[in-house]
Amino acid sequence: MALTARIIPCLDVRGGRVVKGINFKNIIDAGDPAEVAKRYDAEGADEICMLDIDASYQERSTTLTTVEAIANQVFIPFTVGGGIKKLQDIEVLLKSGADKVSINTSAILEPNLIQEASKEFGSQCIVVAIDAKKDGDAWSVYTHGGKNKTELNAIEWAKKVEGLGAGEILMTSMDKDGTKTGYDNDLNKKLTSHLRIPLIASGGAGQLSHLVDAIKIGNADAVLAASIFHYEEISIARVKEELMKNNISVRSNI
Amino acid sequence: MQIGVVDYGASNIFSVLRAVSHLGAKAKVISKQEDLKSIDKIILPGQGSMGACIENLKKKNLFEILKLSLSEKPYLGICLGLQVLFSLSEESIDSEGMNIFSGKVERFTENENLKIPHMGWNQVIFKKKHFVNKNIPNSSNFYFVHSYASKELKKDNILAETTHGELFNSAVIQDNIIGVQFHPEKSGAQGLKFLENFINWKI
Repeated sequence: MALTARIIPCLDVRGGRVVKGINFKNIIDAGDPAEVAKRYDAEGADEICMLDIDASYQERSTTLTTVEAIANQVFIPFTVGGGIKKLQDIEVLLKSGADKVSINTSAILEPNLIQEASKEFGSQCIVVAIDAKKDGDAWSVYTHGGKNKTELNAIEWAKKVEGLGAGEILMTSMDKDGTKTGYDNDLNKKLTSHLRIPLIASGGAGQLSHLVDAIKIGNADAVLAASIFHYEEISIARVKEELMKNNISVRSNI
Repeated sequence: MQIGVVDYGASNIFSVLRAVSHLGAKAKVISKQEDLKSIDKIILPGQGSMGACIENLKKKNLFEILKLSLSEKPYLGICLGLQVLFSLSEESIDSEGMNIFSGKVERFTENENLKIPHMGWNQVIFKKKHFVNKNIPNSSNFYFVHSYASKELKKDNILAETTHGELFNSAVIQDNIIGVQFHPEKSGAQGLKFLENFINWKI
């Protein structure tokens, strides 16, 4: 037996509530984060990811209260992202109950942060999130939630942060995100052939076959999705059933 | 029942404390010798390298007293807390462990398709029936994060095995002393069951 493929539901959180909206517009309230996380845990989620979508505007204390509320209810690995700028932000999140933190824009503005954080807290808790968009034959990296284009090539950047001590890569395809047309398997396949650390694929899940393909074709170690789980279009149990049918090992005996 | 959770300063003990409290037991942080007095059972969680762990325990004057208490109190070592029970680790060859299990902890053998650290959910095959794995279906998945493992051990001491490229000992036992390479505090319902069993285990 080998490691199982991981299914990771993601909660977008703002001001202590789970929110949903398309491209961060028309945001609607969608529940209490701890309750939603608990439901996902009971359904068989292998990890929980929480993204603080406007951490830079909100007070951090709300975020920490939410992290703590989730950590008191859910006993599976728990990743928190959004607004992490310095070592102290990481320390506080870990103390509040996060097992891993996901760093995006700050990793680009201050690559030393990855090195220092992995040295201080261990690589296993440092996830580097990358937002990438196809640009000719390659993929470019964007910052600030996809607003600003950088000069970085996504695959080269992933390799660089691996070298700096990142424990995992969370790759979101901006071309696919929100389209429900499947993950960017070209990008992920290319990426995994260059990486030794695990890849979490994100962006584009719309139906069961997309999650199977992300693992079989894209070689992802884990698949992250928000809306399909959120709107109960597809249950986590149903995803696992489909993966098993395709000879992908998953965690059963929840 | 008071469960002592050892804090040697370089490990995230909060999730273990949360899980123990969630199960209704009283958890107490042990960061100095006196803290051990009213403790019924000991959990040593751990992250980082074995050398740093031993050095930190020694700095806090906890190494020798913990080693002594291993002869009487139920002990659960998690991850690095399992590894310190061995004589030594390839990771820190100059640091002598607690020597409960003779032998060493070794790095996974590199191969092209193997990801190190071994991180994620993997099957734990229990080799013995024991109170701590009561009501846990054999071959359940538990959550792992580590690069070093015990590969060779006397059969009597092997409580469970797991495969990551090669077979390793994912749980070890000797009398009142148990070590698990996985993280029960992060392994969902089965992990909580394991911790609950440890809390209720009577020697």
